[in-house]
Amino acid sequence: MDLFLGIDVGSVSTNLVLIDDRGDLYLNPLYLRTQGQPVAAIKKGLRMLQEILAPQDRICGVGTTGSARSLAGVLVGADIVKNEITAHAVSALREVPDVRTILEIGGQDSKIIILRDGVVVDFAMNTVCAAGTGSFLDQQAFRLNLSIEEFGRIALEADNPVRIAGRCTVFAESDMIHKQQMGHSLPNIVAGLCEALVRNYLNNVGKGKEIHSPVVFQGGVAASAGIRVAFQKALNMDILVPKHFNVMGAYGAALLSRDWITERGAETRFRGFEVVSCDFRPRSFICKGCPNACEVVEIRQDGAVLARWGDRCGRWGVADEKVEDAALSCSHPLR
Amino acid sequence: MKLTYPHMGNLYIVVRALLTSLGLDLVLPPPTSRRTAELGVRYSPEFACFPFKLNLGNYLEAEELGADTILMAGGVGPCRFGYYAQVQREILRDLGVDMEMVVLEPPDVGYRELTDKVRYLVGDCSWWRVVKSIRFAWQKALALDNVERELLYLRPRVLEPNSLEKRYRTAVEEIDAAPDSRAISRAVQEFFKTSRRMPQRQGRFLRVGLVGEIFTVLEPFANYDLERRLGRLGVQVERSIWLSAWINDHLFGGLLRVKGGLKHADRLASPYLNSFVGGHGRETVGGAVACALQDCDGVIQVAPLTCMPEIVAHSVLPSVSRDYGIPTLTLYLDEQSGEAGIQTRLEAFVDLMAARRRKGKGGMLDGSFSGY
Amino acid sequence: MKKVGIPRALLYYYFYPLWREFFTGLGVQVVVSPETNKRIMDAGVKVTLSEVCLPVKIFFGHVIALADDVDYLFVPRIIKVEPRAYICPKFMGLPDMLRARIPDLPHLLETAVDMRKEETDPFRCWENCFQEVGRLITRDKRLVEEATRRAFRAQQNFQRQLAAGLLLPQALEEGNTGEVEVAVVSEQSALRIGLLGHPYNLYDRYISMNLIGKLQDLGVSPVTPESLSVQDIENKVGSLPKRLFWTLGKRMVGAALNFFADTRLDGLIYLSSFGCGPESLVEELVARWAKQQGGLPLMLLTIDEHTGEAGMNTRLEAFTEMIKRRRIK
Repeated sequence: MDLFLGIDVGSVSTNLVLIDDRGDLYLNPLYLRTQGQPVAAIKKGLRMLQEILAPQDRICGVGTTGSARSLAGVLVGADIVKNEITAHAVSALREVPDVRTILEIGGQDSKIIILRDGVVVDFAMNTVCAAGTGSFLDQQAFRLNLSIEEFGRIALEADNPVRIAGRCTVFAESDMIHKQQMGHSLPNIVAGLCEALVRNYLNNVGKGKEIHSPVVFQGGVAASAGIRVAFQKALNMDILVPKHFNVMGAYGAALLSRDWITERGAETRFRGFEVVSCDFRPRSFICKGCPNACEVVEIRQDGAVLARWGDRCGRWGVADEKVEDAALSCSHPLR
Repeated sequence: MKLTYPHMGNLYIVVRALLTSLGLDLVLPPPTSRRTAELGVRYSPEFACFPFKLNLGNYLEAEELGADTILMAGGVGPCRFGYYAQVQREILRDLGVDMEMVVLEPPDVGYRELTDKVRYLVGDCSWWRVVKSIRFAWQKALALDNVERELLYLRPRVLEPNSLEKRYRTAVEEIDAAPDSRAISRAVQEFFKTSRRMPQRQGRFLRVGLVGEIFTVLEPFANYDLERRLGRLGVQVERSIWLSAWINDHLFGGLLRVKGGLKHADRLASPYLNSFVGGHGRETVGGAVACALQDCDGVIQVAPLTCMPEIVAHSVLPSVSRDYGIPTLTLYLDEQSGEAGIQTRLEAFVDLMAARRRKGKGGMLDGSFSGY
Repeated sequence: MKKVGIPRALLYYYFYPLWREFFTGLGVQVVVSPETNKRIMDAGVKVTLSEVCLPVKIFFGHVIALADDVDYLFVPRIIKVEPRAYICPKFMGLPDMLRARIPDLPHLLETAVDMRKEETDPFRCWENCFQEVGRLITRDKRLVEEATRRAFRAQQNFQRQLAAGLLLPQALEEGNTGEVEVAVVSEQSALRIGLLGHPYNLYDRYISMNLIGKLQDLGVSPVTPESLSVQDIENKVGSLPKRLFWTLGKRMVGAALNFFADTRLDGLIYLSSFGCGPESLVEELVARWAKQQGGLPLMLLTIDEHTGEAGMNTRLEAFTEMIKRRRIK
């Protein structure tokens, strides 16, 4: 079977999706926690795929996306490295061809994508804070001692959601505690938190965007029933959640790589599953070349520099400039 | 024509007196509430100032009650207020809300334009009637300020602040309903008489100066009932800006000599802020100095989040604080401020002032801290 | 020889040639702070309130960078540089804020620049400012007059270069003879994007994270507001229902309206600083009009000291990608 691989490496999760040449999902997508170690997560994912693939299965193309897309692209030898906006739009269009609005809420960032006639015409990403993102829910659920699933369910039992103020997570939390102390019921507080997240999302990311149905809601937070209901209530529209809502970025990257390869009839640059046994050493150092003090990220494979990025001036190519001469090495590994 | 206009504290009473005596048909928005804020926030730019958002909420709620024309003040900058109406008009248009906006610009744009607009509103009233109506509204503004001053003085003193506030609300309603100036002064006298007879604590009370952006100072919803909270904490609030002074400065071009006018504050501010900076920035600094000279125990500055003139004022307040040994607290407020957080900061600030008072204002504490 | 420090921030980007020639003409050595870098930003962030916008924080950083090795700092109190329009309250209170926040400053040359309502000569406010500043430096009135004339010539030359299509950073370079080389647009860079944003954001490579360079790398040729003449701007803003009373806001709106009418543009990017007061309204108007016009895609980028470069890159990539795909359709 000829397959295409999409990898989405974000701050919270690393997802891998395989599709066949028709663009249908092949096997189950992998959803792994990044846990601050993108390299380890990517290797783990590849290892798991290697174990379940049949001998005749071939990877004919790879696409990467997400905040660590460049790192992932270097590591596996990607054919195409794309931003998350495009990746999410491509996969949503595949699931709902006439989609006009995509709400995407992940762990630490959120987006809104507006499409007309199958083309992205506008988008926005959260700017200042994470009050409209999944980490907000995680934190509050943790504080209330609930699992994320329970959190989403309990919200549905509310009869009168409490209004919780706070642009930022920390203040919302103190307001929530205040409301708890006033004796509001748990379901009403949880539903209030869902509504606060949705309100912050719509007032920050969704501000000024023309939200028309069909509305597709994807990203990890789409799992939460409470948030889905809060969106339905706030927008007064039906909200569609695709089956693989939490790996839509990776799905999009896979579709993009398929298009790229088939359009060009090219050979993939995929470096093969051998990379899981290579020794990758990412690290970062502060360049002391000028007062900008850029934090340069470097990845070495078996001792040789594979790639470097993060410098504003471009002096840190793969060229074997000795870091120690010009910069202070960081002792901590890349987070 | 069903005319409406946005809220700012008791301003609605003054404007109502003026417009009804000119024979206009008014539809006032309900008092600013959570719902007002939510409506306004939903359709306003995220970083527009809080008053802008509340104004917009007021319009939308008035429209639900049948208002079709909005009366709004303009301005010539640099504060954003002068351009509110232009942006609000665009927002209403995009929402498909069919309301006409009449913006009264200050005379600097041209008297002609102003008189034309007044004519448009009042039709063929005689100018004499207009002048009489203005005078009547002005009396109400002074009366409202008088009862409110009394309220601020008595709040920390009376044993039952709740019933004092009830009397105050009654007085405000009576002033609102008063058909002539006799009825206005009767309402004021009545409030003075009954409230001063209420059982009171004796002793010295902490006095805190309240300075900042006018809307946030005058609109209890926007300042989260700050004065009420401070009164309950046993603090007498000394306000730097009053409704009548604002009306005089903005609508009469500062022609009248009003207690609490702005010229004096400008002089006091000059060592720290030697220029007009729009809005009430310079008055905030001058007001803080005035509070220090009147031996207040502290100064609280309130402003909408992102308010430019107040940020300039806030930047130089530490110098005032240091020179006069007076602590200051700055609160930037908007729809996201949490009540608990505000209450905590106020209590801490009151404790700080009380501790300084006990120490005879000796040890200099860190003069400024801000919270949102 | 006395030294005067000019912070490379805020209105430096509009008036540096004017200021440079004036002080040089007085026989004073002009010292400009280095390009913005992390150290400068951190120093500015440290001494300012968190509510202050990034460009002003950065200005403070530049002042700190200069403070120890100059005799004077030129920080005019900018009230109005044109009749009936301000920049912003923070510009009006800048000298006071500096004094309150930074101890031991050198002598501040903080004369107010305030254009009177009925004034028609765009240089008159500077003439008044220079007279007063000149008095503080020399007794020679003739020298001050000559330096002022020289400054006006340099500024006019600078504005001519901008109008001829030179990007502002190149036009600011000293010794620029006015030979304008307009970059040849290769076939590849078929995308043209109009940029909106205050000059101290657009042209400060550190603040803007080299936005212009990044766009060029993505095969975009950026069109800046500075390529439009004062007349282009005035013609468009003249049609507004109410005069805008912010100079930079006027420029933004005027540039946007010109861009809307420019059929060769594929999109607009509006760069603004987090917490900028006038922009909160001006940006809203531009975004709404862009929508009403229904044509040009517009992306708003808001920056502050916490903005991450990765997010910026993602947005720029996604935006150019979106425009390309729209074209194919």
